[in-house]
Amino acid sequence: MREITLIEAIREAYIEEMQVDEKVFLVGQDIRGGNFPNTTGLVEMFGDDRVLDTPISETAMVGSAFGAAQMGYRPVVDFMSGGFAYVAACEVLLQSAQHYFQHGGNVSVPLVITAGVGAGLKLANEHSVTPHAMFLHHPGIKVAFPSTPYDAKGLMKSAIRDNNPVCMFWHLALMMEKGQVPEEEYLVPLGVADVKREGTDVTVVATGLQVKHALEVAANLESEVSVEVVDLRSMEPLDYEAISRSLEKTNRLVVVDEDTERCGFAAELIAQVVDKSFDLLDAPIERICIDNMPIPGGYLEAHVLPNPAKIETAIRRVIA
Amino acid sequence: MKKSIDAKKGKGPKAKLSNDQLLTLYRNLVRADHFDKCYVRRIQAGQLISFYHAGEGGLAPGVGACSFLRKEDILWPHHRAHAQGHMLSKGIDLKYYLAEHTGKTTGCCKGRSSYHWSFPEYGVFGTSGCIGAGFSPTVGWGLACKKNGDGQITMMCCGDGGSNRGTAHESFLMANNWKLPIVYLIENNGLAIFSKHEDMHPTKDIADLAKGYGMPAVIVDGQDVIAVAEATLKAVEHARAGKGPYLIEAKTVRIQAHGVGLPDLVDYTPRSKEEIDELRERDAILICRERLLTEGLLSQELIDQIEAEATQEVADAERFADESPVADQLDLSDINKLVYAE
Repeated sequence: MREITLIEAIREAYIEEMQVDEKVFLVGQDIRGGNFPNTTGLVEMFGDDRVLDTPISETAMVGSAFGAAQMGYRPVVDFMSGGFAYVAACEVLLQSAQHYFQHGGNVSVPLVITAGVGAGLKLANEHSVTPHAMFLHHPGIKVAFPSTPYDAKGLMKSAIRDNNPVCMFWHLALMMEKGQVPEEEYLVPLGVADVKREGTDVTVVATGLQVKHALEVAANLESEVSVEVVDLRSMEPLDYEAISRSLEKTNRLVVVDEDTERCGFAAELIAQVVDKSFDLLDAPIERICIDNMPIPGGYLEAHVLPNPAKIETAIRRVIA
Repeated sequence: MKKSIDAKKGKGPKAKLSNDQLLTLYRNLVRADHFDKCYVRRIQAGQLISFYHAGEGGLAPGVGACSFLRKEDILWPHHRAHAQGHMLSKGIDLKYYLAEHTGKTTGCCKGRSSYHWSFPEYGVFGTSGCIGAGFSPTVGWGLACKKNGDGQITMMCCGDGGSNRGTAHESFLMANNWKLPIVYLIENNGLAIFSKHEDMHPTKDIADLAKGYGMPAVIVDGQDVIAVAEATLKAVEHARAGKGPYLIEAKTVRIQAHGVGLPDLVDYTPRSKEEIDELRERDAILICRERLLTEGLLSQELIDQIEAEATQEVADAERFADESPVADQLDLSDINKLVYAE
């Protein structure tokens, strides 16, 4: 099968969905030129009324999608960097995400929020933050975070077709990662996890770049520990069944979440496991997150981030 | 009072209103006044939930701006008087809003929001508790109107306080960049909650902002519902013709406190009775009634009839709301069904 990069896979999702549905359009800052290559060349293909550049005006940029979505369009808002979403937090989280329930379920809001996120490029907090927990904290929006080009394309297509706001972040460190993507059309549904590696001793649950890290560790430990890696692919909807199925085999859990530990997704997931699957556990749960401090830039950032070494230590602790 | 900001684009012959249109404005103003008084009475009697921001004195801009919109035009109305004048002028039956505001299952939001409105079939998608929030989706509605390409426009209404938000700047910027069919109506009553406009904004006229975006703008006497309607027709025509957005600043007044139950202060000092009496002299209903009497369009008999019809309409809405079941059941067995669309 052919191999393409994650960012090219997202670009293909845009092209396919824009070809089949003229209501789909892209809006963002400097996306016509392709600040990231997921939008390169699309303005030539679809015209500048479907690939829209905005000024640095995040509230109106989201507003352009929120309003148009209420009128039957399917916009994709490219924030460029996940940290920039904070600028329009009210427009995304209180308005777009919660409009449907708050207004009696009268109007759906089919829009996609996307951005490159994640640390590793020494860019300091605003460009390194992964704000998925902030989104998850506001019921009304779905959240996906792929780890492979295949998943990125399939999830983005599902996100565009969904009748709700969907936030799909992609990790900057995976942007040029290559993976197998079939030529023929497919979808990856939101809310279906994927066991990326089967194992029997310990379950590692992760998303985004941390799936790659977990797989690396699992391969390295192959002769000592049988590690199962569950890639959630989306955190809302959450495929809890996939986690409990895995725990039935392994009875041990490590959660890796590239986000600040305090009040993060790992904390939420662990609370759910304790609540629903406590009897399956043979050891205390371990979590690997970003330390509770601003993400530094420069070489310092490596200290606070999840990495394969920290994941390995956690695995060794839960099987001890 | 009326002055043109952009002499080249802002001035022109007045739109001529028909006799029917003039009577519609008067009728809508009276209806809006009756609903406003009903809400004040009900919230003081504990018959309305959440809060209410009385509209007395400031009802004419919304009525003037919304009475002649098309059903399919998009409207973000102003929160003052909880947009009742705007909404009834657009053709919306306010009994479903009163039902919402009394927490009933028949409410326009199924009793989920208390004061939010939602009438998508009339192009009124909803509201937000954050003042000035409408500036953001207005860009999207304007964009969709333009894409739809059938002359549909978006009317965005806001007070002087809301226009101070950064969302206003971003909205003006993008609406003008993309030449979107949007009419911005700034209903300037000179007061935020307690703060005077001149303490919060460096120039007397908010319409001055329009120049910076190359947007035509006009200032009208917001107590003159006919002047507001004439300015609106011109602005709407401009937007429908694909010439881009237009800003109207309607100078109006606020007679009651910001919210029912709040003290009536300017800065931190109570407003005097004399001050309020002076504002009452500029009552929009009186101004309109006098004009229509002079033009021979109104008679005492018709005045009484319009009053009686408005009284009946409010009574019918109250009965509908009061007789509807309270929305106090929430099926939490499948929350996602409530929170997410299928």
